[in-house]
Amino acid sequence: MTSQHTQISIAGLDRSFGSFKALHNINLDIPRGKFVALVGPSGCGKSTLLRTIAGLGKPSSGTIRIDGNLVNDAPPRERDVAMVFQSYALYPHMTVAKNITYSLRIKRVDRATIQAKLAEAARIVGLEDLLQRYPKELSGGQRQRVAMARAIVRNPAVFLFDEPLSNLDAALRVRMRSQIRDLHDRLGATSVYVTHDQIEAMTMADIVVVMRNGVVEQIGAPLELYDRPANTFVGGFIGSPAMNFLSAKVDQLGTAATTRTGANFPFSKPLDAGRAVKIGLRPEHLSLTHGAERDNGEFELEATVAALEATGNATYADCRIGSDVLTIVLHGRPSLRPGQKIKLRAAQCDVHVFDEKSGAHL
Amino acid sequence: MIHARPYLLMITAVALTGIYLFPVYWMAISAFKSGSEIFQFPPTYWPADPHNAFLEIFRERQMGRYLWNSFVIATGVSLLTLLLGAGPAYVLSHIQNRWTAIATFLVIILQVLPASLMVTPIFVAFNQVGLLDHPRMSVVLAQSAKTIPLFIVLCRATFLQIPAELRDAALVDGNSRVGAFLMIMVPLARNGLLVVSALIFMQSFGEYVYSRSLISDTALQTATVGLDVFMGPNTNDWGSIMTYATIYVAPILLVFVLLQRHIVNGLTAGALK
Repeated sequence: MTSQHTQISIAGLDRSFGSFKALHNINLDIPRGKFVALVGPSGCGKSTLLRTIAGLGKPSSGTIRIDGNLVNDAPPRERDVAMVFQSYALYPHMTVAKNITYSLRIKRVDRATIQAKLAEAARIVGLEDLLQRYPKELSGGQRQRVAMARAIVRNPAVFLFDEPLSNLDAALRVRMRSQIRDLHDRLGATSVYVTHDQIEAMTMADIVVVMRNGVVEQIGAPLELYDRPANTFVGGFIGSPAMNFLSAKVDQLGTAATTRTGANFPFSKPLDAGRAVKIGLRPEHLSLTHGAERDNGEFELEATVAALEATGNATYADCRIGSDVLTIVLHGRPSLRPGQKIKLRAAQCDVHVFDEKSGAHL
Repeated sequence: MIHARPYLLMITAVALTGIYLFPVYWMAISAFKSGSEIFQFPPTYWPADPHNAFLEIFRERQMGRYLWNSFVIATGVSLLTLLLGAGPAYVLSHIQNRWTAIATFLVIILQVLPASLMVTPIFVAFNQVGLLDHPRMSVVLAQSAKTIPLFIVLCRATFLQIPAELRDAALVDGNSRVGAFLMIMVPLARNGLLVVSALIFMQSFGEYVYSRSLISDTALQTATVGLDVFMGPNTNDWGSIMTYATIYVAPILLVFVLLQRHIVNGLTAGALK
């Protein structure tokens, strides 16, 4: 099953803690050299999956192969993986230099090689001046870089990241995102990156794996997930602000759905008349219309402004359509006020239709 | 009113400490009193004519030998406890499931059994396997069986304060489980381990029941047994006995005063400080 291009192959993986199923039937092939993000809300099993790949926990059933070798029972040190932990897990009783070279010293690599590798890793992450410090003397960002250097120095086949940026402030987080991605490209190793932040996953990864309740909901390229979410969960999770959902029924012609209060949403793929569906529409796909002509494939909705949130370069508006509330994103600072009646327009091709019960994309 | 409460608490604390430490004070001043002053009524709270017989008592009662035996046994107990207790303490802190919960419970139960209850079966068993030919080692083994559970319970708390991610990092960095324990966990728990070992040393320095029962050779007996022998059934030389007792507790108090800051820190703040 594993080809030359697959680095990590996970098949039918289950992991339970007592009666709690943390991971359920995970099937995932991670291609060599790719950056894969595991994303989902807290408790979805993404960290458990990463730890299982690292060898810090054994699967209850199923298989994990790295480079084609079955590693279910192999301890972490036989897997050629390096990991960056959320808390950084720096050894408090060792200097930065000792922290970085710990893995090499365990392997009894000779001193000259250790020095050379230390110098290189320190240069890559920019820690040259801090090598003799102790972790407690470093800032959060510096600790994070030590954790990175500790992984880099190993020159591993696979990098595992467990929410490495979640303890940093917002500005630094954005900077580190591109640095980590840059590092991945330079080192050419395979990276598996766990995050609860969908923006991080979307901006950094080649492949995003969306998880919920121990189950993989969808695997795909970032924009693929955005454009074609497999179900309401992925639709709501990917994208910010979140996708709007409205309950509706497919009308007689089978080419539009009508909400309880009469708003009409046309779509392109015909469905059975009378079917209960959920309409999904992204806030950024709705815009104000001023009664002028509309383009082909566009439709209009009448709404009332309920609340406004200005962020400076964009304004989020909650609009009431009957009893439903839709969030829309408007560029700049439109002169709207709560209670105002407005007309919205959206393209037919941006309307997502999901099954009401299963949530699957139709 | 606002300041009354801390003031009252302080007075209460001082009074309670005074009551608690009164015997120690009485022991120390009695060592400086003459025989008749000790039995005088009403008693004096400060010796009227201080004199002491520390050197005479030390020589006459062969206290050097007794204290040495106590020291050897206390050191042996501390080292054995540290060696055998650190591993289980770590395991019981970092692997948590039904079995380790049962094991922890059993360990706590073991520590509850009193020495006077255990001494007879231990004597019989040690006698049968010939351990009584090495009396001081017998006491070390018997006493360690009591101190190891205490050590495990206290040091487990120390290990619990060390994040499990450090162990995981060591494992991913290529260490074995034993290696991660020795290179990461033990150095980080060092303060806690040493403080508990020091407490166990002091406790074992005052061990009496096992030393009394398992050591028959006077040359190998401990200071506690020496004190008991000194007191005898009909003695009235309290001044000399208090002198002996003062010499005996001096090293323990000294150790405690020297380590006092570490002991308090080690038991409260934990290993990462």
